[in-house]
Amino acid sequence: MGNPDVVTIRELSKVYRQGEINVTALNRISLDIQAGEFLTLMGPSGSGKSTLLHIIAGVDRPTSGECRVQGIDVARLSESELADWRNQNVGFVFQTFNLIPVLTAFENVELPLLLTRLRGKQRRQQVDTTLELVGLADRKHHLPKQLSGGQEQRVAIARALVTDPTLIVADEPTGNLDSHSAQEVLGILQALSRNAAKTVIMVTHDPKAAAFGSRTIHLEKGELVA
Amino acid sequence: MTIGSFILKNALRNKRRAALSILSVAVSCALLVTLLTLQRELTIPPESEAASLRVIARNKVSLTQPLPAKQLAILDKIPGIVAVSPFSFFGGNFREETVTSFAQFAVDPARFQGLLVEGKIVEGSYDSFIKNRTSCFVGADTIKRYGLKIGDKMRFTGTFFPVNLDLEIAAVFQGTVDDRGVFFHHKLLDELMGDPGTVGTWYLRVASAEVANDVISRINKAFENTAAEVRAETERAFQMSFIRMLGNVKLLIGSISSVVVFTLLLVTVSTMSMAIRERFRELAVLKALGFRRRDLFGFILAESFGLAAIGAFIGIGGAWAMWTLSDLQKLTNGFLIYFEVTTRIIATGASIAALLGIISAILPSIAVSRMSVVEGLKTLD
Repeated sequence: MGNPDVVTIRELSKVYRQGEINVTALNRISLDIQAGEFLTLMGPSGSGKSTLLHIIAGVDRPTSGECRVQGIDVARLSESELADWRNQNVGFVFQTFNLIPVLTAFENVELPLLLTRLRGKQRRQQVDTTLELVGLADRKHHLPKQLSGGQEQRVAIARALVTDPTLIVADEPTGNLDSHSAQEVLGILQALSRNAAKTVIMVTHDPKAAAFGSRTIHLEKGELVA
Repeated sequence: MTIGSFILKNALRNKRRAALSILSVAVSCALLVTLLTLQRELTIPPESEAASLRVIARNKVSLTQPLPAKQLAILDKIPGIVAVSPFSFFGGNFREETVTSFAQFAVDPARFQGLLVEGKIVEGSYDSFIKNRTSCFVGADTIKRYGLKIGDKMRFTGTFFPVNLDLEIAAVFQGTVDDRGVFFHHKLLDELMGDPGTVGTWYLRVASAEVANDVISRINKAFENTAAEVRAETERAFQMSFIRMLGNVKLLIGSISSVVVFTLLLVTVSTMSMAIRERFRELAVLKALGFRRRDLFGFILAESFGLAAIGAFIGIGGAWAMWTLSDLQKLTNGFLIYFEVTTRIIATGASIAALLGIISAILPSIAVSRMSVVEGLKTLD
């Protein structure tokens, strides 16, 4: 018997309105993602992979269908409930890192914890542990501009991990990195899936990056392919 | 890190812009406080209780038209009047000055004593003023300004009357609404003018505030249908009529103040809008991390309010220090006497700055609130 499903998607559709035209980004997708799985989403530009990722992560809402994460239909949550849910359950890793430039690596990682009830000392311990996990304990007082791209992305991964979320969603996390840094980042994501039982969903164009995943699904014109 | 330090780091991320924003708020607040202080200075009537008891009776035709000196006998008989003195504005220039820096009035010293309620003699004696026909009774501010003392001579070149005055300081007063004036014997002016039998105005004190209106009516009635009808009014009303002669000062200064406030609003709104627009993607990331709309509104509000508050503190504090520490009376040749930045003016300036801080946070907050995380993130790629 496999791991339980963390994400259950049924008949999920997303239609955008662009002027007079309706654009179907996702067309009746059904998908299950198990706990601890490292799922990679591949497909050409405009295939709907980022839209699917955003809906799973609770930053976008479907037009129809259902997306349950740990049994919760995220589309039915209010804006405030969704914000809390994201803070507790989802870690984001973006292509362009999206660290706050005026904050140090430590402060960037601490940011999501400001929304929790943890005290200062507990927060600091948690941040230190997470930065150690990504191998950046010695760079914690550096500003993003003082870090390399690979290091910035590792800080971003630490920020995604620090609240101990169920899901880690990564949108082209290696898109702005050289091959060495990309390998490091993918290695960390793979380790999180294998060793920490985190469910990682990653969008990528790169088949080499997709090879780090435990399963790859392809999207084309908003539909799952094979 | 705390939420506070996070807001502070964001507010100071572009130090030059933050400094310029603070400076613009500070300059605007200083200007606003200065205008409000000027408005108060120009429109404030004497507000002491004694001022409400004093009445000035002038020629109904115009303030420049004299009144017959013989009216005094009739005024003496009007019930409710406890003291009355002739009160003629001389309008002379002191020493070599080319403008009238402070007022000089010809009075009947013995009668005038009954009108001095708030003031007290701080040097010399009032008796010596009464006894010496060429003496004068001078306000402490003028004594201090010109470094004068008892016994010194004061020469005035007439501009309104075609005569000059040579007066000797007999006493100094302090504690009135305006401690700059000089009072001298009306008899001296009469002599110099060839005893024309006229006075400029009548200055009188009524028994109580309750009877003031009745006394004013009686005075006006007593001279009805005579060659010199009078118009009596309280000292406060009299002062206000002078202010009205300046035009609608309140409206003028109010209009300028409104322009200052509006400009200030544009500056703060523009600054905050720019600062937030540059950070749209970061705010989208914060939303993705779990920060709610109200958290983001709080950040923007705190930043905007903080910048406005620092600017207001510097501007209002600077204006207060400048106008409190400088001798404006001297600098303006006596045009501005007090120029007091009151607590009320400070509170008004601070409230306006606070309000602007709040208003300028609203537009960027609405934009951020409407922005979806996906839209915000799209601005990245």
